[in-house]
Amino acid sequence: MNALQRHRRLTTIWASDPGLRGWFTTVNHTDLGRMFLMASFFFFIVAGILAMLIRAQLATPHSAFAGPEIYNQIFTMHGVIMMFLFAIPTFEGLVVYLLPKILGTRDLAFPRLTAYGFWCYIFGGTMMLVSMLLGIAPDGGWFMYPPLTGPLYSPGINTDFWLIGITFVEISAIAAAVEITVSILKYRAPGMSLDKMPIFAWYALVTALMILTGFPPLILGSVLLEVERAFGFPFFQADLGGDSLLWQHLFWLFGHPEVYIIFLPAAGVISTVLPVMCRTTLLGYGWIVAAAVALAFLSFGLWVHHMFTTGIPHMGLAFFSAASTLVAVPTGVQIFAWIGTMWRGRPELRMPMLHLLGFFVTFVIGGLTGVMVAVVPFDWQAHDTAFITAHLHYVLFGGFVFPVLAGLYYWMPHVTGRKRFFRLGEFAFGMIFVGFHVTFLAMHWVGLLGQRRRIPTYAPEDGWTAVNLISSVGSFVMAIGIAMVLIDVILNVVTAVRGTRNPWGAGTLEWAMIQPAPAYNFASLPHVTERDPLYGTPDMALRLARGEGYLGEPRRDWRETVTVDIASGRPDFHVIYPANTRLPIVMSAVTGLFFLSLLLKAYWITPFAMAGVAVLAWRWVWSLGRKEDIGPQAIGQDITVPHAAQVARAPGWWGSVFLLTANATFFGSLLFGFAFLWTVAPGWPPTEWLPASLWELGLGLLGAALAPAAMHGASRALRRGGRPRLGLALAFGGTGMLAVSVGAMMLHTPPPVEHAYNATLFVLGGYAMFHVTLGALMIGFLAARVRRGYASAARQSEFPIVTLWIDYLAAVGALALLAGHLPGLLA
Amino acid sequence: MRDVIRILIAPLVWLAAFSAVYGLHGLICGHGITGTALGLPLPRLLLLAAYALAILLQLALLAALYHPRVSATEGFTRFVSRATGWAGLVAAVWTLLPVAVTSYCG
Repeated sequence: MNALQRHRRLTTIWASDPGLRGWFTTVNHTDLGRMFLMASFFFFIVAGILAMLIRAQLATPHSAFAGPEIYNQIFTMHGVIMMFLFAIPTFEGLVVYLLPKILGTRDLAFPRLTAYGFWCYIFGGTMMLVSMLLGIAPDGGWFMYPPLTGPLYSPGINTDFWLIGITFVEISAIAAAVEITVSILKYRAPGMSLDKMPIFAWYALVTALMILTGFPPLILGSVLLEVERAFGFPFFQADLGGDSLLWQHLFWLFGHPEVYIIFLPAAGVISTVLPVMCRTTLLGYGWIVAAAVALAFLSFGLWVHHMFTTGIPHMGLAFFSAASTLVAVPTGVQIFAWIGTMWRGRPELRMPMLHLLGFFVTFVIGGLTGVMVAVVPFDWQAHDTAFITAHLHYVLFGGFVFPVLAGLYYWMPHVTGRKRFFRLGEFAFGMIFVGFHVTFLAMHWVGLLGQRRRIPTYAPEDGWTAVNLISSVGSFVMAIGIAMVLIDVILNVVTAVRGTRNPWGAGTLEWAMIQPAPAYNFASLPHVTERDPLYGTPDMALRLARGEGYLGEPRRDWRETVTVDIASGRPDFHVIYPANTRLPIVMSAVTGLFFLSLLLKAYWITPFAMAGVAVLAWRWVWSLGRKEDIGPQAIGQDITVPHAAQVARAPGWWGSVFLLTANATFFGSLLFGFAFLWTVAPGWPPTEWLPASLWELGLGLLGAALAPAAMHGASRALRRGGRPRLGLALAFGGTGMLAVSVGAMMLHTPPPVEHAYNATLFVLGGYAMFHVTLGALMIGFLAARVRRGYASAARQSEFPIVTLWIDYLAAVGALALLAGHLPGLLA
Repeated sequence: MRDVIRILIAPLVWLAAFSAVYGLHGLICGHGITGTALGLPLPRLLLLAAYALAILLQLALLAALYHPRVSATEGFTRFVSRATGWAGLVAAVWTLLPVAVTSYCG
């Protein structure tokens, strides 16, 4: 088979369906990445237009441009769209498009999950846009503090759109994070050990782990606030044992890491693009990896620095002030590594480099004002003023938008296969850079003059008129610059001439393929021996096209790839991906129906939607099975590896580990909320505890011990060629005992609307009951698989996955029961 | 996966210790714990003990990361895990220092 024949054969196997149908059935990461990016840039433009409306309103005093009600929606939606519908999805889109290419493989770990996440993002984002078009958009600020957003002060549907719509969109982020983590750890080119991983992958890995642990507190907060608004459970109402500060803790447990979730991928772009622009390699690779990891963890210790004015004791403030100053150190390590890279190399002032320089100037200023607001006395003065708004724009625009624009120009030849022809971009950069600094330097100034953020207007005698006008003029200059970038990109996509492969002379693997990228990425998979493989092997693209790598001969219409050992990069499993399917879009539509039923309070639809998701999930997993063993597979280079369905730690097991990490963070946040209310909220202890019952507790704990023990037994039996049915039946019985015990706890809990204690117990019980149902479904699934002949001693990979989930169920079930019964027993 | 854990463990333990000390501080102030022991106010003593424990844990981790039986065999992972080990220690010393120098419930 020659290179052209191989290309045609692989394209037939890997391509999305032709025509319009392909948009809805594709599971190909290149197509989905492009779709993600197009959608996120659409939302960027929408949010940018909203920003212009804000600046139009504030350009003059006593402005009649928009009334306060509409203005509240405008600034809220500007922040919400930029944070949730632009920044995070742009990271997802970039990573979905780029990661398999830069890692030297053919797709991400779970292609259907990529598509599911994309459609959840589209449907959730559409929900938010519809609310805006109907004039009922969220209006409580992007961080939605109760009691303002509680049922008493915001009785309309506006807040519900935020709580439900954003939670829907966050499914996309969690799905992407699981996908990215497993892909980076397992789906790399053979030979790519951890020290040879492209720096972008390290940043993406750290960011994905942060999403898995940063988003669940916000999801929990959204669930609790929505439950309060819909059913009157008083989590945030001080007169009934709740506390509105709980929201701030949960929100900023997400919100501060979110800043770094946005910055770190951008730093990955910088670390990738900068050395190429400077004709050198990255200085201090190991230091940068360590700094990114340290930054990620430190960012979780900063959340209270958004709450310095809430009356927290001095020592608490000092903890977070110290952590906030410390975070400048790993940031500084990265900045100095980049400066060192420029110093060592020969920087060329090409288009991406211009935006990188824009990043340096802007981000360093934003970082320095960040250190200023980390100092408590200064923050007390500047809090809630336009100074803070200006600071966050320096950090986010400087730390994200400039690097993303650099990345856009850097990878545009890869996406389009064309050479930039028009030179509008350079002029656009100038407009954006000047416009940005005029806008936000002025905003710092007016903030120090005392202008509070989010005010709809001001009086001439406040003395802010000239500064605001300057700021508004600057913002319109910046908007024209952004529009010119858009025109530049469209002109180059449509009219530019075909470019050469690897136009920048980069060393990373994404340039070792045809451009634009084919559906299969690499005709054969590379073997990596260094961090910048194309520098050592400049003809790698040709060799791979000739099939000289791994899996060079297409077989049986299989979409094949290999996974590797995490540390060494040694090939370990053979993977066959699923083909194009409508399942992801249908499942995300049904998931959307679930959220819509909550939004419209059509609760009779909710159970049907949940059942629909369960049925589709069953079908999703069922389609992966085989009724016959697949023997060890030859992958080329005289290497044979087992198929992933025949190993204990298949990709699904790894995916479950990281999904459960997010799930455990959610549960941990719930326990934190319980402890916080107990310790800090007024109105505790409650007048009535849950009537404790040793029988109910004992039954539940017995179930929690039996279910995992039986599941482990079933797994063992299958592995040894025996019958797992008895183990499965006992595990099912164990989940049943847990269900009875948890159900009894929920039934005996005093009315949840009367006190936050009751409400918290009810939610804990609901969480445990959800997992009991999930566990029972999974065990039922395994029983059906055994019955239909899909499981054997060799095809055992599904059993460890379910065992993992049952272990988790047992742990959270037992903890929920103990949290419910122990106070009553001790009292 | 062990190499990834070696890289993450020290900052993870710092985060747990930081949250635990903040939680302990909340408990002390929320429940109005008072009294003296060893000539020091009990709340201060508890917080200082927690601070010392957090530092000791980081020191133990760092020592482990330098020990031939625990440290990574591959040079890159060894370097990064030790660097994050030092980051965990510095973070524990610096971010929890307020337990020694500021008023606790004021």
